[in-house]
Amino acid sequence: MMIKQDYTLELSADNNFSVLNRIINILNRRRVRIKKLMAHENENDFRRGGVIMLLFTTPDLIEKVTVQLEKLIEVDSVKVYQGNSEYFELSEKIVDVD
Amino acid sequence: MDALLTKTEEKTALTEKEKISGSEALLKCLVAENVKTIFGYPGGAIMPVYDALYGYADQLTHILVRHEQGAIHAAQGFARVSGKPGVVFATSGPGATNLVTGLADALIDSTPLVCITGQVFAHLLGTDAFQEIDVINTTIPVTKWNIQVTEAKDIAGAVAKAFHIATTGRPGPVLIDITKNAQNELFEFAEYKKCESIRTYKPKPQLQISELEAAAALINQAKKPYILAGQGILLSGASKELKAFSEKTGIPVASTLLGLSAFSTDHPNYVGYLGMHGNYGPNVNTNQCDVLIAIGMRFDDRVTGNVSKYAKQAKVIHIEIDRAEINKIIKADVAVHADAKEALGSLINLVQPNNHQEWMESFRVLNREEHEKVVHHEFNSTGEIKMAEVINHLSNQTNGEAIMVTDVGQHQMIASRYYQFKNPRTNVTSGGAGTMGFALPAAMGAKLAIPTQQVVAVIGDGGYQMTVQELGTIMQYKIPVKILVLNNNFLGMVRQWQQLFHGKRYSFTEMVNPNFVKLAEAYSIPARKVEKREDLQDALKEMLAAETPYFLEVVVGKEDNVFPMVPAGAGVADVLLEAPTHK
Repeated sequence: MMIKQDYTLELSADNNFSVLNRIINILNRRRVRIKKLMAHENENDFRRGGVIMLLFTTPDLIEKVTVQLEKLIEVDSVKVYQGNSEYFELSEKIVDVD
Repeated sequence: MDALLTKTEEKTALTEKEKISGSEALLKCLVAENVKTIFGYPGGAIMPVYDALYGYADQLTHILVRHEQGAIHAAQGFARVSGKPGVVFATSGPGATNLVTGLADALIDSTPLVCITGQVFAHLLGTDAFQEIDVINTTIPVTKWNIQVTEAKDIAGAVAKAFHIATTGRPGPVLIDITKNAQNELFEFAEYKKCESIRTYKPKPQLQISELEAAAALINQAKKPYILAGQGILLSGASKELKAFSEKTGIPVASTLLGLSAFSTDHPNYVGYLGMHGNYGPNVNTNQCDVLIAIGMRFDDRVTGNVSKYAKQAKVIHIEIDRAEINKIIKADVAVHADAKEALGSLINLVQPNNHQEWMESFRVLNREEHEKVVHHEFNSTGEIKMAEVINHLSNQTNGEAIMVTDVGQHQMIASRYYQFKNPRTNVTSGGAGTMGFALPAAMGAKLAIPTQQVVAVIGDGGYQMTVQELGTIMQYKIPVKILVLNNNFLGMVRQWQQLFHGKRYSFTEMVNPNFVKLAEAYSIPARKVEKREDLQDALKEMLAAETPYFLEVVVGKEDNVFPMVPAGAGVADVLLEAPTHK
């Protein structure tokens, strides 16, 4: 039984309708707990956007959901950081630009 | 003045003529994608498309099914044997939700489909309008991709992307939901451009030579290497490459359920069928090999049994196009993220010629044991007709060259075990989803895709009745599929589990069936029922010789079981050849 911990996930994607649902579906199906979530359009191009999430799960599951998220057609890239500090840094940047 | 007026009128007429409806644009796109056959069912929200279709009868053949589930399974059968995407039309609401099972089936079994659903007018979205269901969110988990189109100008782009996504990388189903206003809207349709790439979608991994070298190093040192061939071989068209690779290296090849027909069963290196009801040798030797080479397969739990007891002694090489499948179930020591055909085509140059006679022989020893304890009895029974002997005769009479479409349950496992597949893409079954009711419509689709091929649907009495309405489609279009129902008046596989693991408590598995022969005859399909062994061969011959659709019911042993069997929770090496004697 692997121990669960915080992960920050930074995802960029095309900003289509339903893209957020697709992302959340993958996490829900694997029963990955979402502690915090921030989704946004890119400031200079609304056709693209991103999601920053603070997840609480095992190292094994974070690896598996990451490749499944990368597989989504609209998803451009997925970056994973251990812990929550990146979540706060990244989300502050989003809040700042708005 | 008159001349001026005429000129103006002409100009206006020309402009109007240049404009076409979104519906017609959709059909033009399908024609441009070389679609010839569509399986569908009309309804309110897709009527403009059907109206446009009326004028395209010379270019597009539409098969009116009897239920949308029949349409999508037919499209799956079409796609699986032809390699081309299957195309489906359905209306909004229940029309679309009736596709969900087929979408899920096509997604897990990697089948390329493009499904078009009608949707209510855009201004009614979210208002609980008549036959409005949120099809996009309903089908997100069961499609490779989906999109809603609310303006005619976006139809062509959506169709182009849909075909690209459905057919590239690991294939899968896509769905385009088009609102009725977009179908009606007149607009100036520019030329259709096929989609070649999508910025965020990279279906074809770049072959990494370092991965191939690592794989070759393991293979070259292996004493007991073993290939598991999955459907990826068929999807990438790698049957020849696999054969050449196995012949050069002398490595035995076993097949998954969906990989069947990728490697000819009469090849000396073929050792059998894997999984819960697979052959004895392939299962037992999974836990004996030193290098396991899994190609285009995803280690389904029906293949692995208990994962904690699966091939622990072996180094695992996983050749797979879908990155998310690598390390999902079984950790790969060497992962080759690649198309199977490309990978095998290159890997063959890095491996040394070899033979593994002793290792190969160990499969035969185990399979002989299976033959003595299981197969021999199946083929030499004197009591009720066994499913195995029916499939054996069918295999012999067709020389293993027919397209076998199977449903889900005991008959499916028996067909997979005993049909001697010779040619690629001749096995069509519902694997990952295990969708009862799949076979009858899938067989129609397969036959329409390749009319020159003998297509036999082997179905149990339970699954047959789940989509039996498609007899109407078979009748209307005179689709000469052969329907072979193996009738034990039970939901046989569930009954088998109840017998073995639930103290023989047959909870709601016995069926009172209708007169199947009369039912087929009601649809003008010639039909015959066989209850005696001496009539079996002749009846099969008659069925195969028929130039029309044909229905054959064979009454088989009521409480026959499928063995070998890997019980739930057991490891592959603990495969049973007969029922445990205790209990």
